[in-house]
Amino acid sequence: MPEKVLVKLENVKKHYPVRRGWLQRTSARVKAVDGVSLDLYDRETLGVVGESGCGKSTIGRTLIRLEKPTEGKLYFNGTDISELPARAMKPFRSKMQMIFQDPFASLNPRQRVGPALEEPLTIHTSLSKGEKRERVMGLLEEVGLRPDHYDRLPHEFSGGQRQRIGIARALALNPSLIVCDEPVSALDVSVQAQVLKLLRSLQEKHGLTYFFISHDLGVVRHLCDRVLIMYLGQTMELAPVRELYKNPVHPYTEALLSAIPRPVPGRKRERILLRGDLPSPADPPKGCPFHTRCPEAMEICKETRPEWKEIGPGHRVACHAR
Amino acid sequence: MATDTAVTTDVQVEAPIPDQQNRVKTVWRKLLQNRWAAVGIVIITLQVIMAVFAPLLTSYDPTAQDLSVKERPPGSEGHWLGTDEFGRDLWSRILYGARISLIVGISSVLLGLIGGVLMGLLAGYYRWLDGPFMRLMDLMFAFPGILLAMLIIAMLGTSLVNVVIAISVWSIPSCARIVRGSVLSLKNQEFVLALRSNGASDIRILFKHILPNCTAPIIVFGTMRMATAILSTSALSFLGLGAQPPTPEWGAMIAAGRDFMWTSPHMTIVPGIAIMLVVFAFNVVGDGLRDALDPNMEVR
Repeated sequence: MPEKVLVKLENVKKHYPVRRGWLQRTSARVKAVDGVSLDLYDRETLGVVGESGCGKSTIGRTLIRLEKPTEGKLYFNGTDISELPARAMKPFRSKMQMIFQDPFASLNPRQRVGPALEEPLTIHTSLSKGEKRERVMGLLEEVGLRPDHYDRLPHEFSGGQRQRIGIARALALNPSLIVCDEPVSALDVSVQAQVLKLLRSLQEKHGLTYFFISHDLGVVRHLCDRVLIMYLGQTMELAPVRELYKNPVHPYTEALLSAIPRPVPGRKRERILLRGDLPSPADPPKGCPFHTRCPEAMEICKETRPEWKEIGPGHRVACHAR
Repeated sequence: MATDTAVTTDVQVEAPIPDQQNRVKTVWRKLLQNRWAAVGIVIITLQVIMAVFAPLLTSYDPTAQDLSVKERPPGSEGHWLGTDEFGRDLWSRILYGARISLIVGISSVLLGLIGGVLMGLLAGYYRWLDGPFMRLMDLMFAFPGILLAMLIIAMLGTSLVNVVIAISVWSIPSCARIVRGSVLSLKNQEFVLALRSNGASDIRILFKHILPNCTAPIIVFGTMRMATAILSTSALSFLGLGAQPPTPEWGAMIAAGRDFMWTSPHMTIVPGIAIMLVVFAFNVVGDGLRDALDPNMEVR
């Protein structure tokens, strides 16, 4: 089916300069995101998986322009927003929101829940006090909190409740895109399930698009429509979720999937162990970034970066061997 | 279905509610539990009462001379702390001196805090301002405090107002450093990112969200700085750079009493004790506040 593209990334790069010495000269660049091209469809959930430091958070932050891309283009609903200044960016801000990983750091400890949720409305709308309050009460109910939580301070809540407050804040402006940066990884497993359920029901109700960053392959499988595998700031494989779990193509994806413990006795699957450490993103290997640890590395992998090629319907992979 | 029960389970976790007002109460309670801080609070309260009700606590004008009773020792009739070389009542001079040291202390600390907090907020939040601002602060740090104050007074002239200016300027660098440190750790917290992703202006983020979260170190700094400010005012007045005679300033009183050290030691000892007690009080209260405001130091 022809799906509407909500966000389009064209060769997006985000490099951070490493400054050293007396004159603060740039001595190196950390290539947190290094040339990512991607379409994010309206109302889908795209899971982004990778080891820590692979640039998944950075790409999430770049997506909503918390970070300005160093290079490349970023389109939101067809408009190029990669270079927009703060003022021109404002109308887009209300359309893209973020849910954070640490529910203890994502709320101002000195601000009561009600005012915290009203703040986005104050910034973007001219609603009266009463109207804002009414909207916030609706939001609290929607995320499973009570109206009397309005006057509470963040430290009075549990991690799961705080995460609900964070979700309510993200919803306040009726966004179309929400970047979820490991929203459940800091929560207990039982609470995780509740929050995931909430995210899913909110998506259906409001037609949200999720950019779901995670390192938990189980959660991703449960929630996402498509999965993107990243390694050292580059995209390795992208496929619909069933396809990826059934038919992983990239050696890195295979290795990741083989690490999932399987609760089926007797059905053994070979565990692929990766050797060596994750190279530094300040000095990534030439060619395919994965070649230093890839069990199938060839000569060409050390020299040329593999093409981001389509090998099936909606299935892309960057690998010379496949 | 199960959704409702599932949703409510983690909502049921109820925590006790120490809110903003209770927080002030908790800090106050912890402060009073600290014996030295409690002593400090008593001394400061006494000083405030002395300063506010000075005219009610003495019948003498602090500058009125009466040469018939000059250099009387403490315990003399009508002058329980004695008189100075011009027969002025020491008790009334101490009372009015309390007023001066409090006003100069508070105003110089407030001015210094305003400057320091602004510099610290800007330097901490904007990377490009950090280098230039903090190097400027380092430059000011390199000057001994009294020397810096003398330089400013030499430029502006001797008066108590200029002492206030000098001391507040001198307070800016240390305050800026403290605030900058807090801002650096706060500005990358996720709640600040959330605000930025909502398009909140920098002014809103800095003053409504970051500043209220660094009040604790600012309060402690301000209290400790009161001690330094009062001491410096006296030191500058002692050197003849601050309050001019016949103003009843404690430091100036010590300076005047110097010539009578052997004949009438009370002229230096009495204001000396006054300075010592007040400086001590602000220091111990500052220490106590630091512990009381630190959530990791649970006094039980």
